[in-house]
Amino acid sequence: MKIFKGRNLMASNNGGPWGSDGNGGDEKDSGGPESPVNSGGQIPEIDELMKKGQEQLRLLMGGRGGKKNGAGGGNGSGGGLSKGSIGLIALGAAALWLFTSLYTVKPEEQSVELFLGKFSAIGGPGLNFAPWPIVKAEVIPVTREQTEDIGLGGRGDSGLMLTTDENIVDIDFQVVWNINDPAKYLFNLAEPRSTIRAVSESAMREVIARSELAPILNRDRQVIADTALKLIQDTMDQYESGVNIVRLNLDKADPPLEVIDSFREVQAAEQERDNFERQADAYAYTVLAGARGEASQLLEQSEGYRAQVVNGAIGEASRFSAVLEEYKKAPDVTRKRLYIEAMEGVFGSMNKILLDDAVSGQNSNVVPYLPLNELTNSLGKKLGESN
Amino acid sequence: MNKGLFFSIFSGGILALILSSVFIVDERETALVLQFGQIKSVKEDPGLAFKLPFIQEVVKYDARILALDTVPTEVTPSDDRRLVVDAFARYKISDVVQFRQAVGVGGLRAAEDRLEGILNPVIREVLGSEGVTSNTILSADRAELMARITRRARTLALPLGLEVVDVKLKQTNLPEQNLAATFSRMRAEREREAADEIARGKEAAQRLRAQADRTVVEIVSEATRKSEIVRGEADAETNAIFAKAFGVDPEFFNFYRSLNAYKIAFNGNNSTMVVRPDSEFFNYFKSDSGN
Repeated sequence: MKIFKGRNLMASNNGGPWGSDGNGGDEKDSGGPESPVNSGGQIPEIDELMKKGQEQLRLLMGGRGGKKNGAGGGNGSGGGLSKGSIGLIALGAAALWLFTSLYTVKPEEQSVELFLGKFSAIGGPGLNFAPWPIVKAEVIPVTREQTEDIGLGGRGDSGLMLTTDENIVDIDFQVVWNINDPAKYLFNLAEPRSTIRAVSESAMREVIARSELAPILNRDRQVIADTALKLIQDTMDQYESGVNIVRLNLDKADPPLEVIDSFREVQAAEQERDNFERQADAYAYTVLAGARGEASQLLEQSEGYRAQVVNGAIGEASRFSAVLEEYKKAPDVTRKRLYIEAMEGVFGSMNKILLDDAVSGQNSNVVPYLPLNELTNSLGKKLGESN
Repeated sequence: MNKGLFFSIFSGGILALILSSVFIVDERETALVLQFGQIKSVKEDPGLAFKLPFIQEVVKYDARILALDTVPTEVTPSDDRRLVVDAFARYKISDVVQFRQAVGVGGLRAAEDRLEGILNPVIREVLGSEGVTSNTILSADRAELMARITRRARTLALPLGLEVVDVKLKQTNLPEQNLAATFSRMRAEREREAADEIARGKEAAQRLRAQADRTVVEIVSEATRKSEIVRGEADAETNAIFAKAFGVDPEFFNFYRSLNAYKIAFNGNNSTMVVRPDSEFFNYFKSDSGN
């Protein structure tokens, strides 16, 4: 008896009462390196069930032992279990069972229920009931968006990708996903996260590999993000993963660090080009405005000239006509008067040298001396002084 | 007391017997029932299943799609440019019996080794095959190449009881030593582009300036033309006016205009005249009776 009991306890410590089963468990462990990685859900193994069963048994036995010890000092009867304590234990066990069987599902979650390992139902948010140990439930965050950052340099993935024109571009992007079918998500993919990462990287590299560098850097970013997203979604659907790719954020699509300076130089050159053109524009605006001004000036001047000469002519002509009118009334007198007045003006204001016939006549033998140089010099001097 | 202990041990034994003869196959698993190492049955459907207690054991295998990433390897496409390639495979155990027989007790770890041993040569073979250049790999044909690799790997992995669901290339990069050359080529291209931009900028600027200069000349000469026309018209008008007015009495115009000209020509005291006092002006210069 004692030996049996000891064996039982030992077995429960070992995790399985049967050597063969323990062996099977080991093999399972070695066979499936995934199982520790497995997110959240453990595969209900027969070992585990056994263990729990043993635990329950031990609890029952221990409980009885405690009771016995407690009672030993008291009434000393040492008899079997009283009905009351059995009821209490049963109640406790029932409560424990209920506690393990009830579980809550948050609004963003759904649960997948397995009836003896077979998929039976999807549980919605709220309190759910999965009678232990027949039904097992796994709660999965369905609508919550999860993100994978790719290309940030973690785990040897530098984000450097080769384009079709054999340039290198540095891509960082983020894949946001959630679960649209929790059962598929749970049953079809061993490593959903790493699969999403790998598929995303592969898809992005595929898209980049068939695109040229320049459009990636400039205008095609949205196109690339959309194409890659579709590719990722298609592959995940092909795996029946139950994963929904919500969006793909292309955080960075830049030239690699090693050459980014020369790309900046191109930008600087583009600006310089722009600058040249702007300066030329400025020059053009300036000289064109100047030319237009000059043109207007020329035109206005010519109009001014026209007004001036025409008016002058009209004035002069009128004056002449008026004089002529009066002249006709008394031609002789007017003619004389006009002549004398004019001569008066002419002679009045000029230096005069009168040479009478007596001195300069042909019958005179005196040759007048006219120092023309002196005359003009003195005249010039006078002018100089007056100036 | 003794009876109670016996009862509990007995019931425990019964329970152990029951638990030893049933097992649960999960949705995610396939189970093999082995009897002394010999495969007795396969349980692929999830649910409750039975076996002989103690003498039969259960081995479970993951029925989900499993992951395998290859290590980066250098491949040489037919144009002799080397590329560093890594890939990942998604596969599942399609035939547990075959799998067990092929891999033995090594389990998935052994299977991964075997599969990787299949994948790497297949990748190298497909990417190095006739007509596949690095340009093919870096093009839209990449998807087709990946499909070829998948098909090839699927055929080869079938005897292992494995179904290769998908093989995809991840990185197809240049080897480290070629990277520097590529970077310098990229730099050179950028420099060319920058020089081109600046040259084009200068070109455009020169063109704009020349166009502006031309327009300036056009505008000014046009204006000059117009202004000369206006001036010409003005002169013509002036002449007409004068001709009309002076034509009335040409002889008087001659006289009158000459007098005006004398007045203006000899204006000021900067002229000197040497005269004989015998012109008409001097008629009364010597006597009151005139000459």
